[in-house]
Amino acid sequence: MAAGVEGMTRQSPPRWLERGLIFVLSRRDRETVAGDLLEEYREEQAPRLGALRANLWYLRQSISFISIRSTGGPPMRAALTWISLMTAATGIWLAVMENLLKHAGYGGRTALAVSIALEALATVAFLVLNGGSVFRMVILAGAAGMGALGISAITRNVTGPHFEGFVLIAGSLFIVQALMTFAVVLRRRYRGAV
Amino acid sequence: MIPILLDLPGPDAYNVGIVAELLGAFEQAVLLAVWKLANDAYGRGILRGIQSALDREVAAGAVYATLDRLEQKNLIASRLEEGTPVRGGRVRRYYRVTAAGVKALNESKAALEQMWRGATWPLESKV
Repeated sequence: MAAGVEGMTRQSPPRWLERGLIFVLSRRDRETVAGDLLEEYREEQAPRLGALRANLWYLRQSISFISIRSTGGPPMRAALTWISLMTAATGIWLAVMENLLKHAGYGGRTALAVSIALEALATVAFLVLNGGSVFRMVILAGAAGMGALGISAITRNVTGPHFEGFVLIAGSLFIVQALMTFAVVLRRRYRGAV
Repeated sequence: MIPILLDLPGPDAYNVGIVAELLGAFEQAVLLAVWKLANDAYGRGILRGIQSALDREVAAGAVYATLDRLEQKNLIASRLEEGTPVRGGRVRRYYRVTAAGVKALNESKAALEQMWRGATWPLESKV
């Protein structure tokens, strides 16, 4: 019984969510802000909302720090952050659908979808952390691949026997993200950090 | 020189300096929450205080970014204190409003009241 009460009062967000929050916080705020949100989670959100909704609350708060830290610069940088998050969601969705439908060759397409999501998340990490020159080259290479993939997908979709609306949307998203990544990253390169 | 060329009034004509120094609405909400909480003003309490005052959920990121900005302007100051078990032992950052912060709040309130002088609230459309 005592262990049950202890478990309730010590309820915590999933570890990956806590790590995600700490990842996006500045060094100065890591302990204090993570502690504040954990305290609010345990004392107010989890008892009132239940674990699932409390986790969603925690996720929303964490995202608000991504938004604040990455949108401190010009509007283009803020837009790129949100487009990258949309691209990451698209990649994850494509990977899930491929694994549910399991059409021929789904393994390769799943790997491609996961690569898309990782590239998009890496772009967000680059913007949040003000990444260095090696990270910049990786991001630019990924953006080039993303742009090529978008053009290829749209071309094959338009010229192929079956037109799929979602391919047009996803392909356009990839191209837009690639162009914006080049614009933002190269601007940082030549004008200094934004 | 440029205002003369463009036939525009200079900055003094609109008292731009004073208006520019006024606090934004959200900055006022954060500063007031810190002032009201006095010795209990740390992140979580401030977040809850603002949500209560504005009667809506507020993003924590916006609150902490505003606290950072106010501290850079020397309108608040902070100190660290030991954490409690419920927060995993993580330290708390307590804030207090500085004399400059109190002055800024008073001036913002006075400026707002002066702006509204002569207008009856709630306003009615003149169209």
